Amino acid sequence: MNWLKIFSYPRKLHEIGVLGMNARNYKVISKCNKRSLYPLVDDKVQTKMLANKININTPKMIGVIEHQYQVKDLPDIVSGHSEFVIKPSHGSGGKGVLVIKQFSDGIFITASEKKLTFKEVYQHVSNILSGLYSLGGQYDVALIEELVHFSNAFESYSYQGIPDVRVIVYKGYPAMAMTRLATKESAGRANLHQGAVGVGLDIHTGRTLQAVCHNVPIKIHPDTGADLFSIKVPMWREHLLIGAQAYEMTGLAYLGADIVLDRDRGPMMLELNARPGLAVQIANGKGLIEALKKIDKEYPKNLSPEERIDFVLNLKK
Amino acid sequence: MKKIFSVRGILTLFLLLSIGFAGVATYYKITHWGFSINPKEKTDVWTIDAHISFTPLPNENIEVVLATPRNGDEYKILSEDVLAKGYETLKDNVANRIKITSAPRKKIQNIYYRVMIYDNAEVSGKLREDAPKGKPVVHFEDEQQAGMAEEIWELAAQNTEAVSDTQRIILLFNQKPLNPQVDAFLPVKKNQRIMSDLIINMLAYKGIHARIIRGVKLSERKNEASADLMIETYENGKWIVYDKDTGNTGLPKDFVVFQRGNVSLLDVSGGKSSKIDFSVMKALSSSFKMAGRRAKYEDSKIFDYTIYNLPMIEQNTLKWLMIFPLGILLVVLMRNVIGISTMGTFTPMLIAMSLVKTGFIPGLLCYGLIIGLGLLLRVMLTKLNLLLVPRISAVVVFVILIMQVLTTIGYNMDFRIAESAVFFPIIITAWIIERASITWEEEGIRNSVKQIFNSVIVAIITYAVISSAYIRHIMFAFNEWNLVILFIIMLLGTYTGYRLTELKRFSPLVDKEKKQ
Repeated sequence: MNWLKIFSYPRKLHEIGVLGMNARNYKVISKCNKRSLYPLVDDKVQTKMLANKININTPKMIGVIEHQYQVKDLPDIVSGHSEFVIKPSHGSGGKGVLVIKQFSDGIFITASEKKLTFKEVYQHVSNILSGLYSLGGQYDVALIEELVHFSNAFESYSYQGIPDVRVIVYKGYPAMAMTRLATKESAGRANLHQGAVGVGLDIHTGRTLQAVCHNVPIKIHPDTGADLFSIKVPMWREHLLIGAQAYEMTGLAYLGADIVLDRDRGPMMLELNARPGLAVQIANGKGLIEALKKIDKEYPKNLSPEERIDFVLNLKK
Repeated sequence: MKKIFSVRGILTLFLLLSIGFAGVATYYKITHWGFSINPKEKTDVWTIDAHISFTPLPNENIEVVLATPRNGDEYKILSEDVLAKGYETLKDNVANRIKITSAPRKKIQNIYYRVMIYDNAEVSGKLREDAPKGKPVVHFEDEQQAGMAEEIWELAAQNTEAVSDTQRIILLFNQKPLNPQVDAFLPVKKNQRIMSDLIINMLAYKGIHARIIRGVKLSERKNEASADLMIETYENGKWIVYDKDTGNTGLPKDFVVFQRGNVSLLDVSGGKSSKIDFSVMKALSSSFKMAGRRAKYEDSKIFDYTIYNLPMIEQNTLKWLMIFPLGILLVVLMRNVIGISTMGTFTPMLIAMSLVKTGFIPGLLCYGLIIGLGLLLRVMLTKLNLLLVPRISAVVVFVILIMQVLTTIGYNMDFRIAESAVFFPIIITAWIIERASITWEEEGIRNSVKQIFNSVIVAIITYAVISSAYIRHIMFAFNEWNLVILFIIMLLGTYTGYRLTELKRFSPLVDKEKKQ
């Protein structure tokens, strides 16, 4: 009965406070997040508008393509920008994101050094509009925004791709955080089940707690060889603050904020998620329930985002 | 108190109530209506529904006369009744005919005659009937055909093993492949009526009296089919029944005679375009029809309002529908308790449904072929860079074309596997292909294969449950349990425990805890 060992007892998982998918959906999301608020985060254009209103940093929007007939105007829209990102406004999990590193003379060069003609980019935008990457497959719009110049701080930690910081925010308090580093195996993607490295971050300091790849704790990045325990996210307070502000901004009491660090502009809100996945528990090596319970019971209510962050940061000192 | 009024508390209460109700209803059905938990009955009881439809002629009184089965040696009639609103019904027990009359009517008329039969025994073919009078009359289509009759008989005579002339001619006509001479003799358009008439004519040519028997072959799958025919010849002072396709003698066990001899099966005066179709149902309906009689005997009005009192076609459809809730429950269990991710939530269930109709192995093979070919086309479409909706539509059309080709080839090659292609849900299939292809592109072939594999596994498990005759019988005969399933599903909607797959996914967290 050796194969049974890959399963653990539900009781044990419960003891260490692991949040399961059913419990997340039933006990947390359906109680914390009003359905009517979902569009605020599911639509990246709306999220961006909201964020701009309260001065949260986001990548600057270059333009939006809403209709098929506008696709041909793409070169006009991006004229003057040699680099930009095209993404579906309702996309999820990085699907359909096209990063153009260099655009000149009608040739688009992607982040992975692939040369695309306008026809190919046109096709990609068409696919976005027809809903190929959107959540329910409904019609979508294509969002064109400035490319993030990602900070040197993460330079050697990721094999392709931009590592972003995911902060789980519960009732305005950061509960848990991680960063996901792409590997060769994950083909530049940040999904843990595809072989990306998950790094749990200390919510108080932004330092590495532990790093896992394929559920196995590791110390160095399998491709770049970087020491994963040397990570200390710069401007950690600003990272957390963006997450905390997202609570007031959207009204979602349980959300995941994806934050990316720009070389020049500091931490920027990339997107928000009303149903953040549970991989953060694996990256951190501990369950979420304890953190959520603590926030429910012990953390003060009616504080401003700044006060909340100060509260959290002062806890450990 | 708070706990009792929570969602879960209320649902649990309803679940318990529904279990109680289902238990009582099941007990009542078994004791009062004689329903059985076992799908197999000791005696096969068959219910035959004859559906008569016609267009009334304006201002003419309507009179419908239908030949009915006779309470004879072969079978016993449990009950018969006519469902015709506002019509007057008169049964003639001597001639075995039912007369249904009414004042002039408008619109298309539908009349149902239902008879329940049990203990249908095999009869050797000796039936007490009057001897025919005079010489049989020959009706050939044309001179040419009449001229060839002699040669055909010479051909038939070569068969020395056959027991009689009748068997000889039937075997000759059903030879595979047909003798070219016979092929030329037979009309181009063949149906059971034309063939039977021709056989009778051939026999008449030889001076043998023969006639058609109309009736119904008992097999459950039948839905609204026309009457089946057999041939009866008068040989050596008695009537002998022959199967017009195999030449076998004797009235088979599964054949119920409605009409024999020169009387007609159905006469409709005051109407035109009259049509009669038969539906047959076994086993389940048996206990239900028995039940209906018992219920009537006990003067129970409830039975009239149950699904078991509906016409057969509706019952057959409902029998099929009643298995859905169980399939859906399985899907919910797979998703929320086991945690298997499949392509589309209900896709595996729909595949399982089709597998029931096609048969397991043939269905899987056929479906695999369709998906495989579809994926191949989809890969080619990728290069064309089509827009999403037209691309999926193209896949849909392609899937339909594959089904058409498979079905045609299957039919012509007598390859039953491929014939089942039509039973697969087309749009769902196209979406599976599209999703598999996108997963393939985005997350690699491994994930794509894994998802298809998961879906197939879930489909097979669902199939295993819903294809069981036992389970299907119970879900139909004791349909009140569907209410229980409903509340189980709703209660599962509040399940917050771990999924089985999560026990594996999060197991490193437990291991880590141990080490510390």
